Amino acid sequence: MTGIEVAIDGIAGPAGPMVEALAFAIEPGASLALIGESGSGKTLTAKSLVGLLPPGFGARGVLRVDGREHPLVSTDASWRRVRGREVSLLLQDPFTSLSPVHRCGPQIAWTLEAKAGRRLSKRELDEAVATRLAEVNLPARVARAYPHELSGGMRQRVAIAAAIASDPRLLIADEPTTALDASNQAEILDLLRELQHERGMAMLLISHDLGLVRGRTDEVLVMRHGEVVERGSTATVLSAPEHAYTRALIAADPALALEADHTGDTARGLGHDDGADAGGRAPLVAASGVVKRFGLRTVLDGVDLSIAPGQIAGVVGESGSGKSTLARCIAGLEREDDGTIAFDGRPLAPGRRSRTPEQMQIVFQDPYSSLNPMMSIGAILREALAVGGRRPDEVRALLELVGLPVDAAVKRPAQLSGGQRQRVAIARALAPRPRLLICDESVSALDVQVQAQILDLLGRLRDELDIAILFISHDLAVVRRIADTVTVVWQGRVVEHGTCAQVLDDPAEDYTRLLVAAAHRDSTGRTPVG
Amino acid sequence: MTASLGAVGVGFRSGRRMPASIVVCLVLLAVVLLAVLFGPLLFPDATKQDILSSLMPAGSPGHPLGTDELGRDILALTVAGAASALVGPVCVAVGSMLLGILLGTLAGYERGPLDFAISRWTDLLLALPVLLAAIVVSGVFGGGYWTTVALLVLLFSPSDIRIVRAGVLEQSARPYIEAAQMLSLSRWRVMFRHILPNVSSLVITNAMLNVAFALVAFSSLSFLGVGVPPGTADWGRQLTDSRAIMFDNPAAVIVPALLIIVVACAVNLVGDWLGQRMTRSGGLA
Amino acid sequence: MLAVRVLGTAAILFILSIVVFSMLHLAPGDLVKTLLGTRPASPEAVAAIREQYHLDDPLPVQYLRWLGGVLSGDLGQSIRLQTSVADAIGSRLGLTLALCGLAFAMALVVGIPLGVQSAVRAGGVIDRTGTALGVIGLSAPTFAVGLLLLYVFAYYLPIFPVYGGGRGPLDTLYHLVLPAVTLAAGLGAIVLKLTRTAMLRELDADYVTSARARGIPESRTRRLALRNAAIPIVTGASLLLTFLVGGTVLAETTYALPGLGTLLQDSVLFKDLAVVQALTLLVALVIAVIALLADVAYLVLDPRVRAQGGAA
Repeated sequence: MTGIEVAIDGIAGPAGPMVEALAFAIEPGASLALIGESGSGKTLTAKSLVGLLPPGFGARGVLRVDGREHPLVSTDASWRRVRGREVSLLLQDPFTSLSPVHRCGPQIAWTLEAKAGRRLSKRELDEAVATRLAEVNLPARVARAYPHELSGGMRQRVAIAAAIASDPRLLIADEPTTALDASNQAEILDLLRELQHERGMAMLLISHDLGLVRGRTDEVLVMRHGEVVERGSTATVLSAPEHAYTRALIAADPALALEADHTGDTARGLGHDDGADAGGRAPLVAASGVVKRFGLRTVLDGVDLSIAPGQIAGVVGESGSGKSTLARCIAGLEREDDGTIAFDGRPLAPGRRSRTPEQMQIVFQDPYSSLNPMMSIGAILREALAVGGRRPDEVRALLELVGLPVDAAVKRPAQLSGGQRQRVAIARALAPRPRLLICDESVSALDVQVQAQILDLLGRLRDELDIAILFISHDLAVVRRIADTVTVVWQGRVVEHGTCAQVLDDPAEDYTRLLVAAAHRDSTGRTPVG
Repeated sequence: MTASLGAVGVGFRSGRRMPASIVVCLVLLAVVLLAVLFGPLLFPDATKQDILSSLMPAGSPGHPLGTDELGRDILALTVAGAASALVGPVCVAVGSMLLGILLGTLAGYERGPLDFAISRWTDLLLALPVLLAAIVVSGVFGGGYWTTVALLVLLFSPSDIRIVRAGVLEQSARPYIEAAQMLSLSRWRVMFRHILPNVSSLVITNAMLNVAFALVAFSSLSFLGVGVPPGTADWGRQLTDSRAIMFDNPAAVIVPALLIIVVACAVNLVGDWLGQRMTRSGGLA
Repeated sequence: MLAVRVLGTAAILFILSIVVFSMLHLAPGDLVKTLLGTRPASPEAVAAIREQYHLDDPLPVQYLRWLGGVLSGDLGQSIRLQTSVADAIGSRLGLTLALCGLAFAMALVVGIPLGVQSAVRAGGVIDRTGTALGVIGLSAPTFAVGLLLLYVFAYYLPIFPVYGGGRGPLDTLYHLVLPAVTLAAGLGAIVLKLTRTAMLRELDADYVTSARARGIPESRTRRLALRNAAIPIVTGASLLLTFLVGGTVLAETTYALPGLGTLLQDSVLFKDLAVVQALTLLVALVIAVIALLADVAYLVLDPRVRAQGGAA
C-alpha cells in the first residue's frame, strides 16, 4: 500500500478534547486541504502528525506511510524516524520559521545532514544546497544571505527548500501563504503543487480560506470545532456543498463571492452604486494635496479624497500604499505635512486639537487591542457617551444598535469574541454621534463569517443613521461588498477613483487591473488572460 | 487557537489555587510581620548589654539561642531586628514605585524633552551599581537609617521609571489609547484612567521584587558597617558583630543569616507568583 | 550606532568624574582635617595641605588639575596606608580579578548548561531544582551565604581554608575557592535565569518547531536555539557586572581577603577619600567598557542589527 493514511482517534488538551476522531488518506502526489476557522483544530491535527503538539496536548491514533505504521503516541526517538523522512512541516510565517542569526544555506544543509545521518563535506553541501535552491527557483547566492535580507516570498521559498530537503513522503503546509501578499501567495501555492508532482509527494494543505484551495488540491476536508463536517473532492465540495457550515463559509468568503459576481449569478454589494448621490450633496470631508513624510520616506504624495454625507467611500491599496496614513491624517492621529483637510467646508489644522469627537470616530483593525482590557464594556461605552453629552443609560440602546446582548455591558473585553469586540468598538465610535466613521481595515482581522456580519452591520448603520463611512481595506472583495465609491491608492498617490462598479469591473488603470486580477486569481487558482 | 485559549482566564479572582510553596512563604512573612509589630512588646530591652552573661551557647537557661559577646540575648535581638529588616525595604519599594509611576508616566506619555531628561537621568543611575553607590555615599556622607532609605529610593527608582515608561509607551501605541484620543479625553484621564491600570501589574510585581532586593541591600550595608549605627538590633549588623564568635555560639550567626536568606527568598517567590498571576489574568494581554 | 554609544559613555564618565571630584568637597567635616588624616593639625601642616591640594584655587581649576592628575595616573595619596593610591590599588587588583574571574567561570560553567536543561525539560526535576536554587542565589545576600559556607567548611568539612588570601599562585587559588563559590551563587543564579528565559523563548520559536519537524537532531536544534538565545544572554551581562561589583566587596569582607573590595570598605569607613575616589572611577570605567563590549558582542551576534548599523 503506498501513500499516506491517517487515523486519529482524538486529540486532547488541558481543557479537554480538542479534536474528534478523524481519518483520511492521501495518494502519492495528491493533495488534501484541511479547511477550518481558527479554533477548529486543524493546526493541532497537523502538529500531531509530526509529534510536535504543545505541552499538555496529546493525540491517539496512527499514521501509515507507504504501509509503515507510526503510532501518534510515541517517544521522541521514534518520532525522529518519522520527522523529515516521512513527514515534514512547513509553517505559516517565513519571518519566524527560519533562524534569524543563521544564513539560509546552513539551514537547508542541516536537513540534508539529518537525512544523510552523517556530516557531509562542505563541497557536497554547497552543491546540494544550490540544487535545492534551484528547485524552488532561487539563485545559489541566496545560500549566503540571512533571512532578513530576503523578501517574504523568497523566505518562504527557502523554508520550503529546507522542509523538503529530506525528501519527505508527506508535506504538511500550515497556512503557507497567509503571511504573504497576494502576488506571492499564488506563486508559492503553484510552486508547492509543482514540487509535489515532480516528487510524487503527498501534501496536506491547511488553510482557513476555502477560496484559496480551489483548483489547487484534489480533496477537501472541512473542520469545525474539532469535527469533520464535510469531505469530498474539491470541485464537488465547492460547487455542491452539503453541510450548512460549508455553504456559510462559501457564501461569506468575499473572494468566492467576487468570483460568483463575475459569473453574474449572485449577490450585489451593499453599496448604492448610483454614484449620483455623491455628486448631489456638498462633501462632508474634502482632502486635497495631502502630503505625509515619515523621515525620508514620503508615504502620502499629494492625495485628494472627498466623501459625501451618507456615502461609503472605499479606499483600497496594498500594505504600505499609504491608505491607513490617509485615514489617520483625516482623523487627526497623524499630522499631515502639506495639503488641506476640510470638514463640512471648514479646513482643519493638522492634529487632534482642531477636531471634535462629534465630527469623526475611528474603528481600528485589531479588536483585541482597541478596547481597554481593564475596563468593562459598560464603562467603555459610558465614557464615550459622556463625551457626546449623552446619558449613561443609553448604553443599552447602543448595544442593541450594534447587535450585542444587553448583558455584554458587565463583561470585560477578554470575555468577548473578536467579532463582538469589534461591535463594541463600533458602538464606542458611534456614541458621540459622529458624522463620519473611519474604518481602518476594520474587518481584516476577523473570520470570514464574522467579516460578513460586520459588513452588514456597517451597511445597516449607514442607512439608519445617515452616517458617512471612510472604509480602508486591502481586500477588493470586501470593498466591493460595501462601498459606493472606490479610490485606489498606490505608493502614496491616487491611481484611480470612481464608483465601485466603474473601478472594479472596468478598471481604467494598469495598476487597478493588476489588483483586480490578483484578487481574482487568488480565488480561482489560475491567472486570467489579459 | 492560542488566542482562544488565552482569552479563557479572566479577572484576578478566578485564578488557580495557591501553590503550597506560596502558602509557606506567606505564613513565614506573616510571622516576621508579627515580630515587627509585637517584637518591642515581647522583648522591650533586646539591645541591653550584660557582660556577665556573654557568649552563652544556644540552649542555655533563659537564652534559648544563647547570647553574643556583649551578653545580648540572640532570640530577643533577632526578633527586634525584624523591624529594621522589613520596614526600610518596604519603604524603599513603595517610595521608588511612586517615583517610578510619576516620572515613568510623564516620560512615556509626554515624550519630548521631558522624556529625554528623565531617560538620561535613569541611564545615569542605572549605570551605578546600587550597593557600591550606597556604600560610598552612606559611608562618606554618613547619615542613618532613613538617609539610607532615601538613598535607596533614589537608586532603585530607575528600574521602576523604566518599567513604567516602557509599559506606558507600549500601551500608548495601542489602538485603545488612540480611541481615547479620538474621544478628546484629557491627558490626565488617558494617563491615569486608561494607561496606568494596564501597567499596574508590572509595577506591583516590580515593587515586590524591590522589597527583596532592598532587604539584601540594607543588610549588606549594615554588614559592612554602613547604614545603621552600632548597637542597633539589625540582622546584618548582628552578623558583623558575631562573626568572631561563630565558634562559641554558632546560632548568633546562623539564625540571622538564615532569616535574611529565607525572608528574601519568600518575598521574591511571592512577588514572582503575583506577577505571573496578574499577567495571566489579563491586564496585559 | 557604536560611535553614539562611545560618546554617551564618555559623557557619563565625565559627569561621574565631576561627582567623584565633588565627593571630597561635599563630604561632611573639615576638608583639611580629612586630608590631614592622623597627622597633627599644626598651622604648617595645614598650610602644606592647602598648598599640596591647591585648595585656594577656584573649584573648576582644582577639578581640571585633579582630572589631569587622574588621566596621567596620579590618583593621590592614601592617608590610611601612607602610600600612593595607584600602588594600593595595584597591589590588590590581582586578587580581586582572580576572585571575579574564578566566580564568573564557575557561574557560566554551572549556569548555562543548567539553564539550557531547565528550559529543555521545563517543569521537570532539573528545572524545579534549578529554579529553587536560582531563587536562593538571587535573593540570598552574598555575605549570608558566605558566612554559612564558612561555618560548614570550617566546622564540619575543614577542606578549604576559611580566611586570608594565601601565598603563591596555587595557594591563593586554593584560598579563593570558597569566596568564589559564594560569589558564583548569585552570579550563577542570574546566568541561569537569563539562559532559561532566553532558551524557553527560543525553543518555543517557529524556527525550532520547523527544525524539529524536518528531522534535524535535537542536539543541533538546541545549539541553534542557544545561538539565538546568546543575544539576550549577552545583553543581560550588565546585570552580572552590577552584581559582581557589590558582591566582591561583600565576599572579600566575609572571607577577609585583601582585595579591592576590602580596600574600598576600609577606605570608606576611614574616610580615606582619595582611595574611594579612585576606586569609584575605576569601577565606572570598567562598567562603561564592559557595556561597550556587550554592544559590540551584540553587533557580532545579531546579523539584523549588523545590517542596520552598517546602513546608518
